[in-house]
Amino acid sequence: MATGGYVCDLEVGDRIGPVEYTMSAFVVREYSHANELHHDFLQGIDDPLAPPTLIHLDKLRLYRHGCPKGTGPSARIHYEYDATIHGEVRVGDKLSVSGTVSERYERRGREYVVMEMELRRAADNALLIVYRDTSILAYAQKSEKK
Amino acid sequence: MSGASIVDLKIGAELRSAPRPMTRERMRRYVDAQPTVAIDDGRIHTQPPTIHDDDAYAKKQGLPGIIADGMVSTNWIQGLLFDVFGRALARKGRLRTKYIAPIYEDQIVICVAKVTAKARTDSGETAYQFDVWCEDDTGKKLTVGEALVYAPAA
Repeated sequence: MATGGYVCDLEVGDRIGPVEYTMSAFVVREYSHANELHHDFLQGIDDPLAPPTLIHLDKLRLYRHGCPKGTGPSARIHYEYDATIHGEVRVGDKLSVSGTVSERYERRGREYVVMEMELRRAADNALLIVYRDTSILAYAQKSEKK
Repeated sequence: MSGASIVDLKIGAELRSAPRPMTRERMRRYVDAQPTVAIDDGRIHTQPPTIHDDDAYAKKQGLPGIIADGMVSTNWIQGLLFDVFGRALARKGRLRTKYIAPIYEDQIVICVAKVTAKARTDSGETAYQFDVWCEDDTGKKLTVGEALVYAPAA
């Protein structure tokens, strides 16, 4: 297990969470505004819901929880987003998110890490989103590093 | 229930967004959204320099300058689909995007979703399969992926 340290030290099989939080209207509106999602069902006040892409920030939530020392020596670069939606995430929902590092591999001198996550409604454990995130741990290839 | 979908697209149909320059401000808004969402106290927060908002830091990481967070293009593709399918998109389906080329400051971004298959489900929805991508104003693909969207019956 490599949790408790840096993100770059995560190993296959490391599990982070579950972490619980409540989806707020402020979060939905700010995130939607930042991404130019100017739709009433996101930014309005009548039964708003969260854009599914917010799951990506749950990865950062898990990193903060499981890797309190931070990213590590290099900036990560996001490589692939893959979210399957099973149910709406509504403002006011209490949520539970957890993740497992499922792969870590090297390709063309760069290290990739895959995190598989589940977002559930805390009240009834209903599965809302399954997310697979692939990130590159450093842009510079190993041969380029000094 | 009429059996018709709220949306009627033919296989091969393309949805295209208006061209948008990936400005420094657009990149920074996503950077600031991250701590703002994390802290969730009703105020805007910022974070230490990133490869998305600080040229010197980006160069130190081996990049020629700042690049957009891939999630900006993913969200713009999602927005294109929201424009057509509304909140149904957030109820059921899938979106996958892969960032195959960096998006640099002021690069033009056009989002496209092309219908590759459609089928009626047992519950009366129409399931649309899309190829999705972002391209620049030369047609170079920057982000690629696929989407599965369920349009409810009208």
